[in-house]
Amino acid sequence: MSYFTAHALSCVFKQHSTQQSDTTLFSDLSFHLERGEIVDLTGPSGSGKSHVFMALALLDPHASAKLTLEGKDSSSFTPESWRRNVVYLPQRPVLTSDTVLDAILLPFDFSINRSVKGLGPQTAKPTAKQIRNELDELGLDDVELVRNPTTLSVGQQARVCLLRSLMLRPKVLLSDEVDAGLDSDSSEKVGAVLQSAADHTGMAVLRVRHRDSDGRASMILSLAHGRLSRREMA
Amino acid sequence: MIIASRTASAVYDINVFGLSVTFLLVALAAILTLVMRLGIAKSMIWSTLRSLLQLLAMGYIIKYVIEANDARIVLALVFFMVIAAVQITITRADGIPRGLAMPVLLTLMISVLIVDGVVSELIIKPSPWYAPQILIPVTGMMLGNLVAAIAVAMSRFFSDMKARQYEVEVYLSMGATPFEAAKPSIIASAKLGLIPTIAQLASSGIVLIPGMMAGQIMAGGDPLEAAKYQFVVLAALSSITIIGDTLIMMLIYRRCFTGLDQFEPRTA
Repeated sequence: MSYFTAHALSCVFKQHSTQQSDTTLFSDLSFHLERGEIVDLTGPSGSGKSHVFMALALLDPHASAKLTLEGKDSSSFTPESWRRNVVYLPQRPVLTSDTVLDAILLPFDFSINRSVKGLGPQTAKPTAKQIRNELDELGLDDVELVRNPTTLSVGQQARVCLLRSLMLRPKVLLSDEVDAGLDSDSSEKVGAVLQSAADHTGMAVLRVRHRDSDGRASMILSLAHGRLSRREMA
Repeated sequence: MIIASRTASAVYDINVFGLSVTFLLVALAAILTLVMRLGIAKSMIWSTLRSLLQLLAMGYIIKYVIEANDARIVLALVFFMVIAAVQITITRADGIPRGLAMPVLLTLMISVLIVDGVVSELIIKPSPWYAPQILIPVTGMMLGNLVAAIAVAMSRFFSDMKARQYEVEVYLSMGATPFEAAKPSIIASAKLGLIPTIAQLASSGIVLIPGMMAGQIMAGGDPLEAAKYQFVVLAALSSITIIGDTLIMMLIYRRCFTGLDQFEPRTA
């Protein structure tokens, strides 16, 4: 039994008029992730990688899929508790709070993170000190907790968003090009942080990357023309 | 029936000469806009004529209802006003999806029930309870305010949700409920709908004599009585606008989400 499985993953844009036929972005894809595994997803722009991620987090109204996490079907979760466990980290950083600290703590105000159901004790609200340490790990030691996120560069914002998602201690992280705007040194730090979270908490990571392989992924999936091909790494 | 005899005829009647002078004033303004080439002369004259006809019609209807003095006719008129208000709200709110008539109807019905119940039956306490000269104007003033507030709030909500698409998706991706993801838009929209009402409440009496109080004084009423009436109406107006505004937001925010709590921006 795999840790996380996806079957019959499809994304179809239905046309309301009868003249046009429905557009199928991809259909009937399947793959699985093991505990603590890192897998990369590649493919040309517009091939639908983000839609795959949105579908896996049950966020895409055009998509359908049969998903399981630790043997449990996604239909046995509420959409909120599923997304809490399978966290999608979009490519575009969105930080709405006035300070970096508030931005990172934002999801801890959501009702799902305040109630006990479905959460282990490890997902307690992080302290400012913990957040400071984690920011340093990601190479953001020059970003003060009281900084307004709008004054950060896009690459810095992307890493703050990554940290926010990691603080939720998800079981699966769907990371959409977090290191797109980063120099290779920072990109390496992001990879190391993800690797460490995967090793220590068993979190499975699916990454979209446009860079050369960093040797961390055990498998590379590539999506093109609605088909998924896989390449096992040693 | 002291109120009825007081409103039945104004202290100083406006005759045909008076109405003609009013039109002369409008004509003067129209000539001015023609000279300035503002291009609104035609619509201005047309709207003036329209407003005269509509107000006279309303006057005749209320006169008829007051004379008929029948609870069923009064309630039927109130219901008709609510239905008309639903139609006006839907047409006035730009960029809203179809199929919002039911939530708007529900909001207006509940608001009118509260206002007519509290303001008419608990505060003013007319006799008989359905006294049309109280119930109809109170309903009319409340609906006028609510229509404006609800139309603005709905319009803003759907455009704001669309503008916040990425933000909403990020909220949802971290386990937020649709309400939590929509909350910033709900607050911004409800606030926008409330601004004119709050401004009116704060400024009335300083420079502005609100229409109702002005009317009562001009019709020979006691200015202090008029002030009390105006305060009750203004306070009720603000409360009901907040209630109606909140209610409509609660009834429509889920329209932007699917049954699986997925975001789906909706527009007209």
